[in-house]
Amino acid sequence: MGWIDAVAANLLASSAGLLLILALLMAATTRARTCILLFGLQSAVIAAQIAALARLHHFAEGWAVAALVVVVKVVAIPWVLLRITTALQTTPIAAAAIGPTASVFVGSGLILLSFAVVRPYVAELGVDPARLAAAVAVVLIGGLLMVTRRKALMQVLGLLVLENGIFLAALTTTLGMPLVVEIGISFDLLMWVFLMGLFVFRIRDTFDHVDVSRLRRLRG
Amino acid sequence: MTLAAPLANLAQWALLLAVAPLLRGLIQRAKARAQNRRGASLFRPYAELAKLLRKQDLVPDTASAVFRAAPVVSLAAMLVAAALVPVLWPAALLAGGGDFLVLVGLLALARFALLLGAWDGGSAFGGMGASREAMVSALAEAPLLLGLVAVAILAGSGSLAGMAQWTLGQTLVHFSPVYALAATALGLVAIAEAGRIPVDNPATHLELTMIHEAMVLEYSGPSLALLELAAAVKLSLLLALLAAVFFPWGMAPAPTPARLALALLLFLLKLAAGAVAIALIESTLAKLRMYQVPAYLGLASALALLAVACTALIR
Amino acid sequence: MIAANPWMAAALAAFLLALLLLPLLAGLADRRSRLRVAPAALLVLALLAGGALAARVLWTGAPAALDLSAWAPMAEAAPFAFTLTLDRLSAFFLLLLCAVGAPVALYAQAYLERHYAGWRRAALWALLPLFLLSMALVLAASTGFAFFFGWELMTLLSAAAMLLDGDSPERRHNTYIYLVMMHAAAACVLAAFLLFLSRAPSLDFAVMRVAGPAMPLALRNAVFVLALLGFGAKAGLIPLHLWLPKAHPIAPAPMSALMSGVMLKTAVYGMVRFSFDLLGGGPSGWGYALVAAGAASGVLGVLYALGENDLKRLLAYSSIENLGIIFMALGAALVLQAHHAPVWAALALLAALLHSLNHALYKSLLFLGAGAVGDAAHSVELSQLGGLQRRMPITGGLVLVGCLAIVGLPLTNGFVGEWLAFRGFIAGAGAGAPVLPLLAGVLALISGLAAACFANVYGAGFLGRPRSPAAGAAEEAPRAMRAGMAALAAACLLVGIAPGFLLRPLGATVAALLPGAGLLPGAGLVPAPATALAAMLPSLALAVALAAAAALALRAWRSGGVRRTATWGCGQPLMTPRMQYSAAAFTEPLRTVFAPVYRADHQLESQPDGQAWYPTAVNYRSARTTSFERSFYRPAVQAVVNAAARLGRLQTGNVQMYLASIFLALIALLMIMRLA
Repeated sequence: MGWIDAVAANLLASSAGLLLILALLMAATTRARTCILLFGLQSAVIAAQIAALARLHHFAEGWAVAALVVVVKVVAIPWVLLRITTALQTTPIAAAAIGPTASVFVGSGLILLSFAVVRPYVAELGVDPARLAAAVAVVLIGGLLMVTRRKALMQVLGLLVLENGIFLAALTTTLGMPLVVEIGISFDLLMWVFLMGLFVFRIRDTFDHVDVSRLRRLRG
Repeated sequence: MTLAAPLANLAQWALLLAVAPLLRGLIQRAKARAQNRRGASLFRPYAELAKLLRKQDLVPDTASAVFRAAPVVSLAAMLVAAALVPVLWPAALLAGGGDFLVLVGLLALARFALLLGAWDGGSAFGGMGASREAMVSALAEAPLLLGLVAVAILAGSGSLAGMAQWTLGQTLVHFSPVYALAATALGLVAIAEAGRIPVDNPATHLELTMIHEAMVLEYSGPSLALLELAAAVKLSLLLALLAAVFFPWGMAPAPTPARLALALLLFLLKLAAGAVAIALIESTLAKLRMYQVPAYLGLASALALLAVACTALIR
Repeated sequence: MIAANPWMAAALAAFLLALLLLPLLAGLADRRSRLRVAPAALLVLALLAGGALAARVLWTGAPAALDLSAWAPMAEAAPFAFTLTLDRLSAFFLLLLCAVGAPVALYAQAYLERHYAGWRRAALWALLPLFLLSMALVLAASTGFAFFFGWELMTLLSAAAMLLDGDSPERRHNTYIYLVMMHAAAACVLAAFLLFLSRAPSLDFAVMRVAGPAMPLALRNAVFVLALLGFGAKAGLIPLHLWLPKAHPIAPAPMSALMSGVMLKTAVYGMVRFSFDLLGGGPSGWGYALVAAGAASGVLGVLYALGENDLKRLLAYSSIENLGIIFMALGAALVLQAHHAPVWAALALLAALLHSLNHALYKSLLFLGAGAVGDAAHSVELSQLGGLQRRMPITGGLVLVGCLAIVGLPLTNGFVGEWLAFRGFIAGAGAGAPVLPLLAGVLALISGLAAACFANVYGAGFLGRPRSPAAGAAEEAPRAMRAGMAALAAACLLVGIAPGFLLRPLGATVAALLPGAGLLPGAGLVPAPATALAAMLPSLALAVALAAAAALALRAWRSGGVRRTATWGCGQPLMTPRMQYSAAAFTEPLRTVFAPVYRADHQLESQPDGQAWYPTAVNYRSARTTSFERSFYRPAVQAVVNAAARLGRLQTGNVQMYLASIFLALIALLMIMRLA
């Protein structure tokens, strides 16, 4: 059916732009819940990319990986994180080291940097420069989240976004990793999130806050 | 058929003006439904305008001629700006096919007139609304222009008609990230320019929350009717602009009656979709604090900047 | 060498001679008879004639040349070449001078009569023609000596005018800073000229034009940097702008108008002459340097203007902003030329030149308006004004035209200049200079902030209620002042609605400076976008007029009449002027958003000390030292003073030490002569 192929190709082409916008929105947001929802959206876009690739290049594994991503990253992890934020009952605003305007402009700078970084590799790899640059940009924005957000939960979210970016990069260059590896990584992620949930409650009960910038006892 | 083109342009301009209050009515109705109410008639804004036109015009005794002139200039600028936007087919009545710089200039003229009218009222509310509006518009001008510049560079044309024509010629597969970035930026700016939530609440009269409403607080009767009409035309103009530049599919390639009628139908559908979207946003989001608006506009500026940068990076 | 018409040369000589001799009649201004308008009338006539000459050169392209070095007394007095040539570029700026000078002279007739008496009035009437003469010399000069002669004369005459206006330590301090910075700038320009001497036998522009493009790149870079420093300081680019807000407000209003309107443009003329004509363009780095300086000046200039309460200082900062825009366009033209896109470079250069003319027109209008306001309300502080539109309707209307023009709203000349600049920046995308379209965003930000600034100026100054008794008793300005302002306002609107008449001669000017611009097939002399704009504007004006008529008709259709009543004050029985927004309050949100730029010093103390909960009095003091003064100028001045102190140790007072140093210098010179 030709029109499904057309839709798939369109999806692939426009996903780069969508991912860039979502990355910038994540840098701009100040609330933890919004960030979690944006992460879910980002994972959904990635799952759609995998499905489109599976359709266009006709490999069945892709559908399984797409389903896995949907189940783990679009449904399970955001649900767990949302439950944790509700139970924590801390302030909804995720304190950050730099304000939202500054974060947005730093994020834009990182996106421009990622475009500059991928330029020499595009020719030899034969990939769409926008998609590869979007992948690197997502990695860098994940790093930005980890470094600037002060709440412990946002650190794990930054890590998850980072992993999303690496996954995207693999997707762009080599059609993704084998199914076995994917299953393994997905379960690792679930474990991270559960462990972080446990730790966050421990931190809250011990220190009465979850502000990581105040956790400074680890000094020589 | 040499008269077909100017007639089609005149028709689309008249359509934009006629539909403006209906758009307001549609948004009100959609919001009411979202709030589980029935809502007023779709045509109530027309009745309101008629009512205001019949009333007496009150003018502060310390005001100068600028107070009476401001609504006229504001509405005149909006009326001319509406003639620059392609609606039914990729052409516009004035300015060589709707030059986007002229459009932005006319919007600025309308806003400047409104600022001066607010000052001349001589009350604290006018100055307050004007100062907030000055802040919002000063920061919104850059993303508005940069978003349109990004599309102009892609389309290789400075007129809105040219941009619409170019987008019509693109198949969906070639949708560049520049488009997505520019569309998001312009969408954010359109909300700010039109004075809707989350930037400004058009239905409030609380001192803490007014921006546009504070500027028109001293106006009454026919002058207020002119200002309300100008605001309505601005909103429909902005939606038509977004539709023309980013979703022009359905526009008639040539001004034949059949294709124009189809384009009319599709345009009304697009306007309705826009109205419902605005109503949903207004029903679900809260208005931002005034000093959070620069962060919102900073996000729009960053998106627009990236859009322009990407025109060079993605070739 | 195009053979110059002897009639044109005679006309140029007559014009300059008239300006030179008019000061002799300055004494007439002090009389009581009808003759007292003679100096003004003759000056206006002289300037109109000069404008006609400049227009003829500009439209026909035939230059007017005057070689004074052959004249025996001149050859004895100054053995350097003194030649004046009016080519198209000089003629354009001379037209600018006359177009601004004539209305200002008309205005000055009434203004100087009201403000000065006795010898001061005569002195100012002597200074005005000489000042205009010095600027005309700078524009017409075609040798280094003539250029420099006029340049120095400009500085000295304007400083004299500043000192004439009063006497106070602050005024003398400001004039001193002005003189020091202008001389430093002149030194840079002189150095730039002298660097040519290593490759060119004389400092005649015709010779320099040939030698310039042939110089090695390092030398051309050095010349460009010196020219940028010299002309940039004269133009008030950040960070060399310190003198502008100190000097412009303290001169008399007509003088401020000329300084801001015309003198700053001589710096633009110098920059264009050096970069495009004498050096023949250069690497894109030059353009980017100009763009960076221009962008910084534009943004910071308007932000500083937003924080000002004094109308004249605000206008001075606004001049910095507009010069920033002009230099951004100049830089874009250089970049586009370096990227081999001469047609687009021509568009950008056209934008820069047209914006210079536009700024001259509306800025002088605004300064004249500020003078009229200061005259009528006895203050130029925005916190003391208000309600002036009702008291001075015509002056208010003319100042409104100036505000509309400076914001760049459609149908005024400001819009035309900014439109062309935007198109020039966007063109960078197709020419391989992707940074240039981002400048469109910078210009949009500057434009938005300027709109806020001038809505504040007109709103706080002219609308609402009067904030002081003097403002409430203001009278309309005298006829001559209104006539001068009206001429400028009419020019603003004319260029805004029908710029076509200027485009062909400007296009020819620009094509002469940018080789290759007119040679592309179908390009013509005027870049296509400019012609398109000129075609759009008259129909746009008609459309706006019709729409306004329709709106008026709609309002009057079934209206219930108009009733004048008191402003509703939420039940308050009495509305006082203090209940309105003040100028500082209006700009407060923007100043909060851009707080890092302002860095004001706040001092808050409550009395009695130590008892914070129940104070009897609270004092708040906020002072803003421009951060440049603190972080750039003071350390620089301190470094110079320290170095001078260290060098001062060489002055031991011992005669033998002095003899030894002379002897050592002689030996060093002999060695250099031997080795060279």
